[in-house]
Amino acid sequence: MSLAMASSAARPALSPAAVRLLLGIAVLILWEALPRLGLVPQLFLPALSQTLAALVGSAAEYGAHLLHTLRAIGIAMLVACGLGIGLGLLIGSVAPLRRTLQPLASGLYAVPIVILYPLFTAWFGIGPQSKIVFASVYGMLPCLLGTMAGIQTIDRQYLTVARSMRASRWQVIGRVLLPAAMPTVLSAFRVGGALVIVGVVVAEMLTSSEGIGYLISRYRTLLDSPHVFAGILLVVLLVVLFGALVQQVERRTAHWRFSTRSGEAG
Amino acid sequence: MAAAFRRSAARRLGGLLSWIGLVGAIAAAWQASLWFGVMTPELLPPIGEVLATAVSLLGRPAFLASVGVTLAEVLVAFAIAVPLGVALGFAISESSYWSAILKPIVFLIFSIPKTIFLPMFILAFGINFGQKVGFGVFSTIFIVLISSFSALDSVKSDHVRVARAYGASPWQIAWRVYMPAMAPILLEAVRLAMIFNLTGILLAEMYASRAGLGQLIASWGENYMLKELLAGILLIAAAAILFNEAVRWFEARCEHWRS
Amino acid sequence: MSTMARGTTAGSPASASAVPRSEAKAPLRIVASAPGAVSVAGVSHTYDVSGRVTKALDEIDLAIAPGRFVVIVGPSGCGKSSLLMMMTGLTKPTAGTIVCGGRPMTEPDPDVVGVVFQEASLYPWLTAQDNVEFPLSLRRVPKAERAARAREKLALVGLQGFEDRYPHELSGGMKQRVSIARGLVQNPSILMLDEPFAALDEQTRITMGDELLRIWAETGKTVVFVTHSLSEAAYLADEIVVMSARPGRIIDRIEVALPRPRTYEMMSTPHFAELRERIWRQIRHQVSEG
Repeated sequence: MSLAMASSAARPALSPAAVRLLLGIAVLILWEALPRLGLVPQLFLPALSQTLAALVGSAAEYGAHLLHTLRAIGIAMLVACGLGIGLGLLIGSVAPLRRTLQPLASGLYAVPIVILYPLFTAWFGIGPQSKIVFASVYGMLPCLLGTMAGIQTIDRQYLTVARSMRASRWQVIGRVLLPAAMPTVLSAFRVGGALVIVGVVVAEMLTSSEGIGYLISRYRTLLDSPHVFAGILLVVLLVVLFGALVQQVERRTAHWRFSTRSGEAG
Repeated sequence: MAAAFRRSAARRLGGLLSWIGLVGAIAAAWQASLWFGVMTPELLPPIGEVLATAVSLLGRPAFLASVGVTLAEVLVAFAIAVPLGVALGFAISESSYWSAILKPIVFLIFSIPKTIFLPMFILAFGINFGQKVGFGVFSTIFIVLISSFSALDSVKSDHVRVARAYGASPWQIAWRVYMPAMAPILLEAVRLAMIFNLTGILLAEMYASRAGLGQLIASWGENYMLKELLAGILLIAAAAILFNEAVRWFEARCEHWRS
Repeated sequence: MSTMARGTTAGSPASASAVPRSEAKAPLRIVASAPGAVSVAGVSHTYDVSGRVTKALDEIDLAIAPGRFVVIVGPSGCGKSSLLMMMTGLTKPTAGTIVCGGRPMTEPDPDVVGVVFQEASLYPWLTAQDNVEFPLSLRRVPKAERAARAREKLALVGLQGFEDRYPHELSGGMKQRVSIARGLVQNPSILMLDEPFAALDEQTRITMGDELLRIWAETGKTVVFVTHSLSEAAYLADEIVVMSARPGRIIDRIEVALPRPRTYEMMSTPHFAELRERIWRQIRHQVSEG
């Protein structure tokens, strides 16, 4: 008796990962059961099987629109993350620039970027340009802020060491700053990239004639819940997949990061 | 002491100057693009006219009514999401077992931008005040949860142990050890929560709504009323930045003992 | 402002002047251009923090003959680390000249001076081998050659077989061994170390001291070593340079008469105790004041 209690206190019956798996399964079962049993109206929450059926049944349509969305995402990501990370590296490594621009950038982050979208559609029309511009702006600030912060947290000792070896300015940037900032740059890319993906889809939801977001909005006005959920599911999968991909790269480059930093040794 | 005060005053002045510089640069680029014909006045009305429109908007009852609707939604969502998020965050952190289970889930959901779920809220709640508030809460609560996790993590167990050794009561520990350590992070959470909240609610209004600032902005865009649209954008941006800077100023005051 | 500045600094110069000035400066008969020789002449350094000028170093003269092991010791804030950073060429003094191996140190020169820093200064994204190769790779030394040279230095510091470990996979002592190997990889004639073992526990610290003495004996480098530990200073040095704080001055130079090789038992000899005593007498009121 007391033995059993002791062991159960020391080690819960299930590992957290197992409980998470069970929770996930429970959510899937509820997703199927609640609408089927009529406990939740089908309009609010279409059953899982219906959602998947909608996705498979209209696979060709989703696929065609996904292509448009992906193209816009690709371009916007290049612009947002390229500009954001590039400017972040530049501003972060030049102290006077950083001191003046960093507060401004994080102040501008407070502006709800969505309100710019009507302006972009007025300027660029409802074609792909306006959603690319919107998603680029939407994803750029987190990239910029994250990279700047990453550069700032780099141990100054690393730079002193490089100077003691007479590294040139470019060698310092390429061989020290960049690798040291890599983990933070990648996590900035992860946040910014997710925003770019959703930025494109949201722009399509608001005003557009093609893309996954457009499909979601069209099916919403038709009150076709399974197709709406199928579209959302697709986008969520896209975001999660992107996040997992970047995390994989992060893990490969950053295996050293979660251990000692100079100043903590000893 | 006096020197430190002067330094922080100088920094604040510097911050103000760089904001003035930024506004000046935007205004200059704005006017220059008109002079050099990059933009036409139809697409980008002169800045003076837009500012005049902004001032006149502030006197229009219809505009003020929209502001009132949005403000009400934002405040109600905020008043629900922040206490709820903090309470849930603390409750989850209370058990190391449940935080091992739930924290990864919270972080996963946090990493998915919430705006994509907006159509689900419309299907479930229709288009009304409750739906906007619900979406605002949903957009906000995960950042509050995560902030309260890290707020609790920031409390040093050494400090708690010292307080306990000197016979502090649980309440005294909560107020005199936990609160000062957590305050900066919780303030940061409030600031970020407001950003997420405002974005969520404006989007909800733009997407499908009969009232509110977001709806107004969207309809100005559709009808090519660029003077009003730009004036509205400037007003919202200015309000958001002012709120943000105010909280940051307060954060800096609370954080003087750090670093 | 001006009254405030005077008010806060008035205390320290008065007490600093009570410290006896150096009476035993070694005569400057060392040939400063010989490889491995270090000459510091008239080095002063002042800096100002928001308008308040502070004299960090005051008229430092120091000549070190090739192959000597010199330890600089002093209370915290005496500018011993600043002085070392100037000797490596990383920072410039306000006045005076520093010549190492015949070259004025206006900027770092890793062919003349190898530097070992406090704690882990290794790049965490590089393996031990790559960290040691790093300075060579900056100079585009061919890959095979730099790999061989790095391996040789890692073997010298006793890290054969650890080439592919990342810094976080090494203990504190091993990390400092890698740092020493990196400092030596360009074959400088002088090695300068800035409190290299300060973050290590006592046992590791003693072992590392022995290791450094062994490496020094094998390579014949000139070593300049900064520490705040009196025992470490007395245990390692040929000569101890004692500095005072505010302003940083050399207040004593002590020849250590202990024979080599040094052993742990020497720490309990009367001479060792005298050495510690002599240093402590000169810096203790500054330590308690600081």
